[in-house]
Amino acid sequence: MVSSGFRPVFTETSALDVEAELGSSPQLINNDRFALIISQRRFMMLREDVFEQLRDAVIRGDEQTAKKLSEDIVRAGADALQVIERYLSPAIKLVGQKFETGQYFLTDLMYSAEALKSATGILTAGMRTEERERLREEKVGVVVLGTVAGDVHDIGKNILGLLLEANGFGLHDLGRDVQSIKFIEKGGEVNADIIALSALMTTTRPAQKEVIDFLKGMGLKENYIVMVGGAPTSKDWADEIGADGWAETAEEGVRLAQKILKETSR
Amino acid sequence: MIPPWRINDLLDKVENGPIALEKDFDLKIFSKKLREVIKTYDIRFDPENIVPSDNSLADSVWKAAWDLYLDVGTFCVNTHRRILFEEEEIREAMSAFPEKIWVGSGKDTREVYHREIEDRRRPFCVFSPSLPFSEELFLPAQMAFMQEPLADGAGAPEYMRIVGRDNRTGGPFEIQAAQGHAGMIREAARRVGRPGIYLADVQSAVSDAAQIAASNPEWGVRLTDGRMVGTIAELKISNWELNKMVHFHQFGYLVMALFGPMYGGFCGGAEGVAVVNVAAHLQGLMVNQGHMDVDFPFDIRYGNNTSRELLWATSVTWQALARNTPFMSMSNGMAAAGPFTEMVLYEAAAHGLVSTVSGAHLWECFAAGNKHPDRTTPMEARMACEVGHAAAKIGMKREDAREIATQIVKRYEKDIPKAPIGKKFQECYDPVKVKPTAEYSSLFRNVKKELQNLGIEFPY
Repeated sequence: MVSSGFRPVFTETSALDVEAELGSSPQLINNDRFALIISQRRFMMLREDVFEQLRDAVIRGDEQTAKKLSEDIVRAGADALQVIERYLSPAIKLVGQKFETGQYFLTDLMYSAEALKSATGILTAGMRTEERERLREEKVGVVVLGTVAGDVHDIGKNILGLLLEANGFGLHDLGRDVQSIKFIEKGGEVNADIIALSALMTTTRPAQKEVIDFLKGMGLKENYIVMVGGAPTSKDWADEIGADGWAETAEEGVRLAQKILKETSR
Repeated sequence: MIPPWRINDLLDKVENGPIALEKDFDLKIFSKKLREVIKTYDIRFDPENIVPSDNSLADSVWKAAWDLYLDVGTFCVNTHRRILFEEEEIREAMSAFPEKIWVGSGKDTREVYHREIEDRRRPFCVFSPSLPFSEELFLPAQMAFMQEPLADGAGAPEYMRIVGRDNRTGGPFEIQAAQGHAGMIREAARRVGRPGIYLADVQSAVSDAAQIAASNPEWGVRLTDGRMVGTIAELKISNWELNKMVHFHQFGYLVMALFGPMYGGFCGGAEGVAVVNVAAHLQGLMVNQGHMDVDFPFDIRYGNNTSRELLWATSVTWQALARNTPFMSMSNGMAAAGPFTEMVLYEAAAHGLVSTVSGAHLWECFAAGNKHPDRTTPMEARMACEVGHAAAKIGMKREDAREIATQIVKRYEKDIPKAPIGKKFQECYDPVKVKPTAEYSSLFRNVKKELQNLGIEFPY
């Protein structure tokens, strides 16, 4: 039951004012059963365009606005998980599509990722443990990613990382010039599904083979899906070294990761 | 006369400049400033005007690049510091820059100079595969490139394997590969009767140790050859490259600064590529400390710089440099298509034409997106350089180059996303006699005829 002191907000009033309004009925706020109803009602009664504004801020890479709106939404007591699922996940997926079609460049992708990170950080800060667990479980898979030893090129790897995150993967990016054993150590630490290895030179791609050889030698090859990519690599190279997948572009890499995970039902 | 410019002062800046996180440099410093200067100077790409004749556009790109570099500097990924310069320091370096240098030796000595827009002097041409090659093809491929009459200098293939083992960066076989490379290219030069030809870099060696291992005037890289100091995209450098730079100058080498701003990466679109291209030349002067520059802007998706966007960026870059600097800079062609295709020859022609008329020297030609071992031949470079020479001979004007280049681009631009990878070197050349096949020669002549019909006045 909702107190008559509660009224829907269809004005220019900000989310902060909603809380101030609802604060005038303390018995509702203190009542757990009604608090849930009110939380849901608050979510629906906040101006729909607040969430759309947040979504748009992420799409255009406006971190400052995304932060402010996220803070407003948290203060209003809205359901953070719903905001992430209904507005932010589609937003970053759209950004990924814009990059794939050439409307967005790398910096646009990164600005959006930063805005998303800030927004998600604020929204999840107040989440209950079970909600955070649910968010984590909704990850498509966990990826350990890096550019192999001796190689300082990382732009392609960075693009792949951003697109993987945009598509719901949990990402652990080890950076560039990563020693082969570090991929395996991290894979074990985070219980990774996929180890993704980038090499941009013919003289560094042997390190991709080394990671796979290490996994075989340690009896761990079956524990991970190993994907390789980068300019000097190819399907033939991937087959030669025993990789599970190869992609020519970052976009293809994401689709391949999704496909292999589904096929192996990890 | 420089380079090098105050080498120890530079190294002080590397060690003591302002600290930054790399991600902040990319997004909050570099990208932010780049967007700002593009807006301030109103730089806009026009797909219908890929060789602009507007000098004010070139000067705007120069000013944008100047402001960008003075503000942003170069980021060292090892010390996490920004290398920043005062305006006076850069102007001092530019004033002390040589008007010309001489490369190569004996009868193969060549002069390199600063080129102007629509310059009638022919471009300095480096023919270079610069691509991984099978070990058994290294010598014939190198000979094929060096024997080309228009080659003033030659790059080389890269050893994928040496003595049958992987050439792996940072390992002992890389040292083997570097020393093998340096010796083999001199052997190739002798066999084609050009023992003194300018040998541009040891591409098989990536690490500083391997590059240093190849320095030996007796059997390796000579003081009349070129050494390369690379960059990391965008406007970054590493200790490996700085180590090379110090060694090369102490040893007495001529240095080339190498960079390749990426369309679709941190530069964004064509406007960003042009501005960063020019700013990278300032880094090339002050940090890489190069006598010459080798510049390969490219599309991150297709590995080429023959689209309208990249040809426009190429043109305005070198126009900006020609009008505002003393630099000697080579425009490095990258084609999406592979050897033995009409497309690659048209791409090479477009790149050679636009670059030459805009004021660049030429470094040609990476084929098949520079991704596939053994897939490049001298024929692509020959096409680019013959077109370049033809354009220079008549002092072709920018508006004429624009007209012709636009017609050439229309023949292949829709095929860029799915360009054919063509054939391997050994399918286009007899690797024993080191001659192109009759079929590829015939294809070459046919495309040349088409280009003649479009307005290129080949002397032969």
